[in-house]
Amino acid sequence: MTHTIIPHLVKKDLLIWRKMISIFCLMSLLAIAGLSLIYGHIPNFVFMNVGFTILIVPTAACGIALLIQTNVFEKEKSTQVFIMSLPITVKEFTLAKLLVNLPVFGALWIVTAGVAFYFTFGLGLLPLGAVPFITMIFLGIFAAYSCILSISLVSQSLSTTIWGIMFFEAGTSAYLWIVAFLDPIKNTIYGPNTVWNSTAITIVAIQVLVIVFVLVGTIFIQNKKRDFI
Amino acid sequence: MDMTMAVQCEGVAKQHPHFLLQDVNLSFEQGTVMGLVGPNGAGKSTILRIIMGLQKPDSGSVKVLGHSMPNDQVAAKRKIGFIAEDMRLYESETIEFHMGFIKSIFDTWDQEYATKLLGRFDLNKDQKVKGLSHGQRVKATLMLALARRPQLLVFDEPTTGLDPAVRKEVLDEMMNSLQDETRSILFSSHNTLDIEQISDYITFIYDGRIIESRDKETFLDSWRRLRLTNIDNKPIPDLPNIRQIQQSGRLCAVTVNDYDDTTIDQFTNAGLKVDAIEHLTLEEIFLNNVLHAKALKNNGTTP
Repeated sequence: MTHTIIPHLVKKDLLIWRKMISIFCLMSLLAIAGLSLIYGHIPNFVFMNVGFTILIVPTAACGIALLIQTNVFEKEKSTQVFIMSLPITVKEFTLAKLLVNLPVFGALWIVTAGVAFYFTFGLGLLPLGAVPFITMIFLGIFAAYSCILSISLVSQSLSTTIWGIMFFEAGTSAYLWIVAFLDPIKNTIYGPNTVWNSTAITIVAIQVLVIVFVLVGTIFIQNKKRDFI
Repeated sequence: MDMTMAVQCEGVAKQHPHFLLQDVNLSFEQGTVMGLVGPNGAGKSTILRIIMGLQKPDSGSVKVLGHSMPNDQVAAKRKIGFIAEDMRLYESETIEFHMGFIKSIFDTWDQEYATKLLGRFDLNKDQKVKGLSHGQRVKATLMLALARRPQLLVFDEPTTGLDPAVRKEVLDEMMNSLQDETRSILFSSHNTLDIEQISDYITFIYDGRIIESRDKETFLDSWRRLRLTNIDNKPIPDLPNIRQIQQSGRLCAVTVNDYDDTTIDQFTNAGLKVDAIEHLTLEEIFLNNVLHAKALKNNGTTP
């Protein structure tokens, strides 16, 4: 028999953490509803800042909580010995964990990004010139999440993962500040039209490549491990 | 490829930061029980994890049920039930959840047998794992391993921390599982009573090395304690198989390994009177082996 047990492992994790995931989804929906209610009642500048925070918190919290529970606590609570006694390799174990975490975070991330784009551009909070920069913000968030996910899988250590979260949270903010002050970005951000100049395209392409490289690299590193328990 | 062997380890070595497992040669046929005995930190868990493909040896080869490990671990683990002392189930979930999970993975899952085991172990399938005692947790894990009907059961210290009643239940079920004559068990313990009870073969491990590995009968038969009277205070013969000498005045107890009929002659020829010849329990053999290995190690000699 050669069929893989990855789907069973993914289903198992989703079943175990279904309540937690549902709570964060509900929080996301409440955040969107709340933003819809307060729109127009507070200044646009305040709405944008508060709105971004309210939107991103449930998504980020869900992503972080799920990766800690499924990747870090799997080892710390010794359920990993049980899982690794099943017909599975380290590579398949890693793939299963990616297939649990990425779709859950990815779904919330897409919804959050969609709602943010709607409020920002659909309701005219910012001109269309800011589309590349807002895209970079959301891709930056996904890239940071991918790095944290990778750290949690490779280290399976709570302290290392928390250091990773701190580093990439601060790093992403710093990186976005730097990008915002690059002339080709700064000069078009308040323009009436979306301008995908070479700088914007390069930055977005690098972000996508980082995400792919980190995820593929995680599988590669895990596959090279000599001892997994 | 010898398909009749359950496990074949040849020249296995593994270096950890503060521990070296070396030159492990361990084999036993399908349908038999191999007990791995050794003190804490001897390397029992490392050997079992290498056999399970969870750790990669630095050198040597491992075959389990004809499959090379760790490369062919997926196929091998379909036929293995593994229980480790540090293995935990998901606390927030019920026993039934775990049964469903294992059932979804193993086509060989025997629901009828699983239900029987639940009854025998007095387990409630609707109970969450976090509410189980240590003994109940071990029994639940054993049920999950047995009901998938594996060809090989690998147990790492399965009875550690269990009260005598639960320990007996677990051992009884391990023995029941051997009614299928092709099923094999490899289990480690520092409890020699458990090993003595169900093993066909016994392997002693100390400080990362196998110091003795034989079938149980030969093992128990090869060790003797000779009760001697040394009337003329003669020197005790310097035999290589003497493991321990205890003297009290003219009375002397000598523990020997590789005992045969000529052993007595060697003492009587030396002027000693043999009063009694006693068999040793596995626990006594274990202690003698460990003390001997320790002494050799302290003298800088390889056990």
